Amino acid sequence: MTMSPQSTNRLATAASVALEPETTAPARKRRRGVGRLSTHVMDNRTAYVMIAPMVVLLGIFVWWPLLYSFYLSTFEISFYEEPVFVGLQFYGYVLEDPDFWHSIGIGATYVLYTVPAIMIIAFLVASFIRTVGRKVAGLLKTTVYVPTVVSAVITSVVFVFMYRADGGLINWLIGFVGLGPFAFLSDPELALPAISVPGIWLAFGITTLIMLAGMYDIPQSYYEAAQLEGANFFQRTWFITIPLMKNVLLYLLVTATIAGMQQFELPLIMTQGGPTNSTMTPNLFIFNQFKDPTPYATSFSLTAALILFFVLGGISMLIFRLIRSDKAIDA
Amino acid sequence: MKASLGRRVATYSLAALIVISTTLPLAWMLISGFKGRNEVLRTPFQFFPDVWMWQNYAAILQDPAFLQSMALTFAGALLFTLLSLVVNSIAAYAFARLDFRGKRFWWVYCITPMFIPGMAILLTSYVVVSNLGMLNTLAVLIIPGAASAVQMFFIRQFYLNTPLAIEEAALIDGAGRWRIFWSIFLPQSQGVFVVVGVGSFLAYWNAYVWPILTIQDPGLQQIMQYIAGFRSERGNEWGLLMAGSTLAALPTILLVLIFQRYIVNGVRLAGMK
Repeated sequence: MTMSPQSTNRLATAASVALEPETTAPARKRRRGVGRLSTHVMDNRTAYVMIAPMVVLLGIFVWWPLLYSFYLSTFEISFYEEPVFVGLQFYGYVLEDPDFWHSIGIGATYVLYTVPAIMIIAFLVASFIRTVGRKVAGLLKTTVYVPTVVSAVITSVVFVFMYRADGGLINWLIGFVGLGPFAFLSDPELALPAISVPGIWLAFGITTLIMLAGMYDIPQSYYEAAQLEGANFFQRTWFITIPLMKNVLLYLLVTATIAGMQQFELPLIMTQGGPTNSTMTPNLFIFNQFKDPTPYATSFSLTAALILFFVLGGISMLIFRLIRSDKAIDA
Repeated sequence: MKASLGRRVATYSLAALIVISTTLPLAWMLISGFKGRNEVLRTPFQFFPDVWMWQNYAAILQDPAFLQSMALTFAGALLFTLLSLVVNSIAAYAFARLDFRGKRFWWVYCITPMFIPGMAILLTSYVVVSNLGMLNTLAVLIIPGAASAVQMFFIRQFYLNTPLAIEEAALIDGAGRWRIFWSIFLPQSQGVFVVVGVGSFLAYWNAYVWPILTIQDPGLQQIMQYIAGFRSERGNEWGLLMAGSTLAALPTILLVLIFQRYIVNGVRLAGMK
């Protein structure tokens, strides 16, 4: 559902990831084609009826709430008094609030823990899948995809169970190398890294599949030529795979970073932002403010959400444009 | 010969390592569901139970609240999937194949929500649905998210690649646009509909934050609400919780296994276009 961040459609997002960079060129050509056909046929009425349900739903449940958020962010809302227009005052409050910046720091740290790991693991697994036979590749593709479909709620619950100091699987496993036991989720130093592990687990599979799709796009003959010249695996990766997948990798990097900054279901369920706010990601901070009964918390959280997400949304739009225009030149 | 055998062993071991480490959390959830109350947190640690027992699975299946939330979520997810397929596919067809006044404006209008994060509109969406009197109804879970920029975009990509010739022929024969959509585009959309539909189903099934905001009525509780609620209320019954989580994750995993070919190809095809 559009308005609940947790339900972002991972699958379709994922698929469009690979799609996105390549649209413009063929789309333009096609549009011109349709245009030629439709000089006689302007399908105004049919088209409006066809897009109407989508337009109306997005209008009521996305555009209106968005404009309303903007509007409300310029008011001081309290349960006891009439709203008072305060202009952009709340934007100043948010930007001066140390708790807001603390949560940004937590979000950035979480990104630092998860994104490189996701990218590296996915790249290695994808490279490996590309080299194995069809059957093994099929099995691996399905296997790595499975975590993607498991909900954050179930993942959180299972990892809380696995992190337990008594009877926990993870403490048992690290016991073999002489470490632990740790109370991962109640130690401020360990809680965020501990939450990063399920974060990586949930995301690496779909990233792998998209990278793999990008790799299949590279003509096999490049590798054969390189092999004849005596290039080893690392040289082939460095000089062929990575440059040719630049757009896909960049896209995945940006989407993973933006998704990481927005992570909040895992800390919400696993630690509620604790211990001592060490897992209070920006979204969780904002979510808690929503429910805070103190006056003006509503305006504050709305404003914080808008600030944060127009920065992130802006960045992602910019990057998409860059990737697309770059691709259009290629093609 | 020897080298190739070594290589094969290495390949298979690496593949096995990937499979095991990926599925470990799920396997652990499944296995823990078979452990009794004394065994599930036992020290010293033991991986497998001494006695495999079905009690947890049986007990959770006898909880009417569990069954009801599973059934409701399932029904809701089906309706949601159906509705979003209809809404997004006709819009996708119009954007891919028709020319109309203001197309560029409406395109930007429909596609920009892709970049609007849920949190930015979460609270005001809540205000909107509560003003519409939708709180504590299944409609609040089904209708607001049905129009999806991402899905519409994905289906449109697919329609863009359908050859023009068939459509032109049909137009010349006097078929209307609806007719063309219904009898030419829909029949070949199976693959893309499966990919997009599975996506919708999963999004609905796995949703948590939106349901906890909008559904207070325990009779309408969704499955992820049930699981999270169970954990906070009866947090020490880990065996039972793991059994419930296993069953709650099962439909999504089955969906992937059933449609794996479509999904993997869907991602792959998308990349190849």
